Amino acid sequence: MKGIRVGIIKKPVFSFAKIYYIFPVIFIAALILFSSCTKQSEFDLGKDFVDSQTRLKIIDTFRVDLSTIIQDSLRTSGTDVALVGEYSDDIFGSIRSETYFDLGFSNFQNIEDKAFYDSAAFILRYNGYSIGDTLSPVSLKLHALTEKISKGSNAYLYNVRSFKYNSQPISTVEFYPEPHSKTDTIVSFKVDELGLDLFNKIRDGDENVTSEEWFMDYLKGFVVTSGSSENNAIIGFDASENKIELKIYYHLRLEEPEKKEITIAMGASGNQFNHIDSDFSGTLLNSIKSSGNKKMASETEYKSYMQGLTGLITKVQFPTLQDIFLDNNWKILKAELVLEPVRYSFEKFPLPQKLYIYQSDTINWLNSVLKDEKGYSISQLVDEDRNALTAFFSLDEILGDDTRYTFDITSYLTREMRRKYFNSKRGLHIGLSTDGYTSTFDRILFEGKKPPVKLRLYYLSY
Amino acid sequence: MGYLRKFAVFLLVFLGIQSVTALAQSTSSPYSMFGLGVLESSSAGPNMAMGGTGIGFMSEKSVNYMNPASYNGIDSLVSFFEVGIFGKYTSFSTKKESQALFNSNLRHVLMGFRVTPWMAASFGFSPYSSIGYKINTISSIEGSNQQYVKTFSGDGGVNQVYLGASVRPVKNLSLGVNAAYLFGNVTHAESSDIYSFYLEDITYISNFDFNFGLNYRFVFDKTRLNVGLIYGSSKKLKTQNVTTIQTVNEVETLRKRSYKYEIPQNIGIGIAYSKNFFSAGIDFERSSWENVQFSNNYIHTRNSNRYSFGLEIPSLGVNRGTTRMKLFRIGGELRESYITIDDTPLNYKALTLGAGIPLNGWLSVVNVALELGQAGSLKNGLLRENFVNLHLDLSFKDWWFVKKRYN
Repeated sequence: MKGIRVGIIKKPVFSFAKIYYIFPVIFIAALILFSSCTKQSEFDLGKDFVDSQTRLKIIDTFRVDLSTIIQDSLRTSGTDVALVGEYSDDIFGSIRSETYFDLGFSNFQNIEDKAFYDSAAFILRYNGYSIGDTLSPVSLKLHALTEKISKGSNAYLYNVRSFKYNSQPISTVEFYPEPHSKTDTIVSFKVDELGLDLFNKIRDGDENVTSEEWFMDYLKGFVVTSGSSENNAIIGFDASENKIELKIYYHLRLEEPEKKEITIAMGASGNQFNHIDSDFSGTLLNSIKSSGNKKMASETEYKSYMQGLTGLITKVQFPTLQDIFLDNNWKILKAELVLEPVRYSFEKFPLPQKLYIYQSDTINWLNSVLKDEKGYSISQLVDEDRNALTAFFSLDEILGDDTRYTFDITSYLTREMRRKYFNSKRGLHIGLSTDGYTSTFDRILFEGKKPPVKLRLYYLSY
Repeated sequence: MGYLRKFAVFLLVFLGIQSVTALAQSTSSPYSMFGLGVLESSSAGPNMAMGGTGIGFMSEKSVNYMNPASYNGIDSLVSFFEVGIFGKYTSFSTKKESQALFNSNLRHVLMGFRVTPWMAASFGFSPYSSIGYKINTISSIEGSNQQYVKTFSGDGGVNQVYLGASVRPVKNLSLGVNAAYLFGNVTHAESSDIYSFYLEDITYISNFDFNFGLNYRFVFDKTRLNVGLIYGSSKKLKTQNVTTIQTVNEVETLRKRSYKYEIPQNIGIGIAYSKNFFSAGIDFERSSWENVQFSNNYIHTRNSNRYSFGLEIPSLGVNRGTTRMKLFRIGGELRESYITIDDTPLNYKALTLGAGIPLNGWLSVVNVALELGQAGSLKNGLLRENFVNLHLDLSFKDWWFVKKRYN
């Protein structure tokens, strides 16, 4: 490389030949730009000549067998809800609910020498839930248990479980329920005798209140029951931690009297549960338990019953769906299950917004909350994101004609039918969430005839 | 000219990739849904501007692969490398409505050169037919009063790569043959976004195809008259069909359909006249599609004729007769459609204008052709296409690859 470069200034020479190069370059550049974005345009024109190989059809005439099944039992412990009262109507029968709980032991505070006992009460707080007639007074009773609440080998307590209690209540209360009150309204059972006994024991340092074992033996637990057959409401109370309490009130006899109290909170949440007695006698569901936990809708005026805590689940089966395989060239694109509540059946019980759908498991999960009529576990259908599949709910408030629940069961059905065989015995179960089943009496009466439950298949034949 | 060389190489690579991936969609016409799609013209760059007239012309100014006998016109001092592209604006209309679109693509890549003093050869790549459409229809769901949008789409096409040679057994007579390999696919699909299905019907197509050509030259003083003949026999194409249906969570291959695809017997005659750098030509070509049936109930095939004429006029002035001479071209073409719908022909009529602009450099000639035309029909509720098609053919002489061979 030489160190010095000599710059030569070229005079620009105008030339036609050079100008010509510009055109192809511009043209090609334009083509490249255009060609990348206008490959295929969508047309409406030309639709008259297309030769279609596919036909999209709807069929909703597959037979749907509707029935009601009932759970043998439902776990109700640890739900943070205490449900008490009774309710009955001609359709779903009568329900009575009692709630069991015990008290938690703690090292009680020392009671001063100048303390004088005043009173004691169990405090219950509304949780906002209720069914039935809340305009009439409700009467409840509090009983002391004569045996300890024990779960035995099982981790849960069930709606069929009960423990012995003294038939003589230690307290009764009658009140106008205000379950929807915004303030921290309470219902209190006066238990002055029990309170005095406890007060004395605590003051004296009795071993019944200094040792947990002795304490649990001394106060085995309590049950709140419906206090009158006149009750036609079930009220929900908050049974989460520290919300059910026993308060002992006393004062110190000083020159200026000082009010004091001892609070004993509810014990382990797992020991609190609701016992439900349901009685279907006089309804169409009478004898459901003795008939294999299942009643076909044809036996119940073509209706199916669904309710939490009593454990009623609506079941659908598709006995003729297998026939679809008689024809080969089709694909299911969409499958919907459409259920309508019986008209005027949901005036007192607002329809649940969320409804779930369950399939029978291929493996019987012992831990499953819900089971089919044969005792096999059922589990929720899920969508692509593994979230529980819920129904699309439309409420026709004006005419009531278009009130319905629609489940998109496309992925379930296409999966089930992949092997060109459909097991019609298994069926699908429609109901509340598991929480809904263990802590609410939410219910729906489904129509099975006018109109029937529909399985609506959108399928492509080719 | 370094930059131009680089640009040319870039362009070729780009177009090469394009040709593989996107050539399939060079047509966007609803009529491409029938048969093998819309047939592409096989006229060379200069001939494009002359109404596609080329059967009688020799490959003097560019590679005229319409008639393989023409390669003998390639001068021993010249080698051609040509890239043709086009951009087409089409307005589609029925009696009620109209829509427009623009599409563009590669038209051909050709090489032509003299191998020995007695033989010239050519090879190249060009589309034979192409398919590209997308049509939305409102379809009803049977068993309900609901409707949904069903989309019909198609793409694919048949391409050819050929190797051709031409010899002169006796004075003034040239004979030639093109051995082409046809390959590609015809793909039709039906789909719906809302109900998530996609039915795709792909037919893969391939076979060898031979085309023969003859050219005889009559020389009268300064006047030359060339008569060209071309012939190609009908050919069944090998097909392999795959139909798949795709739904949300399933893909299934359905029965294999059997579609028959065939290319027809093709004969053509053309006369080219030239004197003092002025040329003129006429073509007549007949394709016997009548014997070819497609499995679509709407359409019928028929024998289709092509008529065309073209003139080439040299620029006046000092450049006349030199390598700087510009050539202006004009022509017209009528191509009868090979299909009819409800007995309605869908003929293709076009007027062409163009020029050949010589450049003193590595890129030797730019041939531009503007084609104004019409295809289809408004009768019987059919579609008419009015189009403006701009063809650009870049002819590179002494391409480095060929040059090396000669050094």
